[in-house]
Amino acid sequence: MIRIEDDGTVRSIVFDRPDKRNALTPAMLDGLVAAVRAVTVGKGDDAAVRAILLRGEGKSFCAGFDLDLCKDDGPEQPTMLALLSGLSSAVEAMRACPRPVVIACQGAAVAGGCALLGGADYVIADRGAKLGYPVVRLGISPAVSAPFLIDGVGAGNARRRLLDSELFDGAAGSRMGLVHELVETRDEVLPAAADAARTMASRSVHGMKTTKAWALVCGGEKKMAGRAARALDTSLSLVTGDEARERLAAVWK
Amino acid sequence: MSELATLEIDGPIATLTINRPEQRNAMSVEMLEALHVCVDRLEEAAGVIVTVITGTGRAFCAGMDLKQIVIDKSSGGSGEPMLPKRLLASLGRLTVRIRCLPCVVVAKVNGAAIGGGCGLACVADLVITHADAKLGFPEVDLGLCPAVVAPWLVRKIGGGPARAVLLRGGVMSGARAGEIGIADVVCPTRDDLDAATDEVVRRYAAAGPEALAATKSLLNDLDRSRDKDLVLRGAQLSATIVATDAAQANLAARLK
Repeated sequence: MIRIEDDGTVRSIVFDRPDKRNALTPAMLDGLVAAVRAVTVGKGDDAAVRAILLRGEGKSFCAGFDLDLCKDDGPEQPTMLALLSGLSSAVEAMRACPRPVVIACQGAAVAGGCALLGGADYVIADRGAKLGYPVVRLGISPAVSAPFLIDGVGAGNARRRLLDSELFDGAAGSRMGLVHELVETRDEVLPAAADAARTMASRSVHGMKTTKAWALVCGGEKKMAGRAARALDTSLSLVTGDEARERLAAVWK
Repeated sequence: MSELATLEIDGPIATLTINRPEQRNAMSVEMLEALHVCVDRLEEAAGVIVTVITGTGRAFCAGMDLKQIVIDKSSGGSGEPMLPKRLLASLGRLTVRIRCLPCVVVAKVNGAAIGGGCGLACVADLVITHADAKLGFPEVDLGLCPAVVAPWLVRKIGGGPARAVLLRGGVMSGARAGEIGIADVVCPTRDDLDAATDEVVRRYAAAGPEALAATKSLLNDLDRSRDKDLVLRGAQLSATIVATDAAQANLAARLK
């Protein structure tokens, strides 16, 4: 369900579950975290990687968590907890990665899929892509995204989008700064993203590494770990509550 | 005398209405007190998921009542030197209290939202207005300092745009407010506002109340919305500037 393809200096991490619109499983998130964390600036095979391209096969980048996997879990909701923790780790890993991370977001990035965008350094989407965090209606909090969205697009936009289940399009995502390059059609997304990743990979390693690290420091990265932990707790504590259970049960019926 | 602010609660939806239409809903000490009383009730009201703040009549809120921030009685002022300070501190406390409500807050900006009125809108989690409404912060035009509302504008649209708006002064259209992020939803005309607000409110009311409250609480922590000292320092600062001769002269001229 996830493939790693190294092509010279660009590592592509590919969600390969197009029949499910690349809905996330715990294994996919673990694979993403491992593939990103393996990219280091030290010695070793992965040190050759100079940029990461995260993409999904098919018409959509990612439809969010595969909620069907959580259906028969019972009240402890282990799969949902694993998905939320995995998502938080994935976003943190992308930010902490010493190399730039590009996301090719064609078609849709919804809920957990949209949360992933918060970890990327450069997001390319088509004008009509469906984006958003429609999870409060399920009794789930999109809290995991809050610290990264506040850093990325400001507190006002984060508040607007995380509390409201309304989806918005790629053009709106571009206006608020969540999408950094807008293309007209979904077929144009991957070529543009691959081009961006190749270009970034071709730049001076030292300059890129220092610039990414410094941009994070300027965004308040020192406090980010604590904020992310607090955000994850908010999400985790709701999942096993009555509200989430009842609302999810209604979805599964 | 009719109430200066009213609160209606209908199941999960509350409507807080600023009700001083003959003064374009300008904020007086008495009106802010009435709003505080409504917020007391909202803090106690179990089951409210979303609160809509709006104004009676053509305006949302025209800002501070000039008669209460002009001190000189012969110029039409109150004759009470401490009144502006009380007014500003009351507004400051009100903004923090509204932000910290567990329910989601929607500002339905039905018409002019000026100065403190626009600041009050920015406290909301979502601002909805129409293209022809007038919004803005013309404080500097009068030699005043929008210090109470500045923290809320910074949180709403970011530090750079907030500086540009506050230092440039003047007012803007609802359409422009939408472009710079002060308004989140902009209807083409005033006639569309009710239906568009209903749609937004229905979406919030359909959400899980616990998930919504927990997410809002987290956002309030992360963007330091609970920092009451900051707005109260702003109130002090703003009151100091209001009391200067230059500001008083400008305000008195505006009252005439």
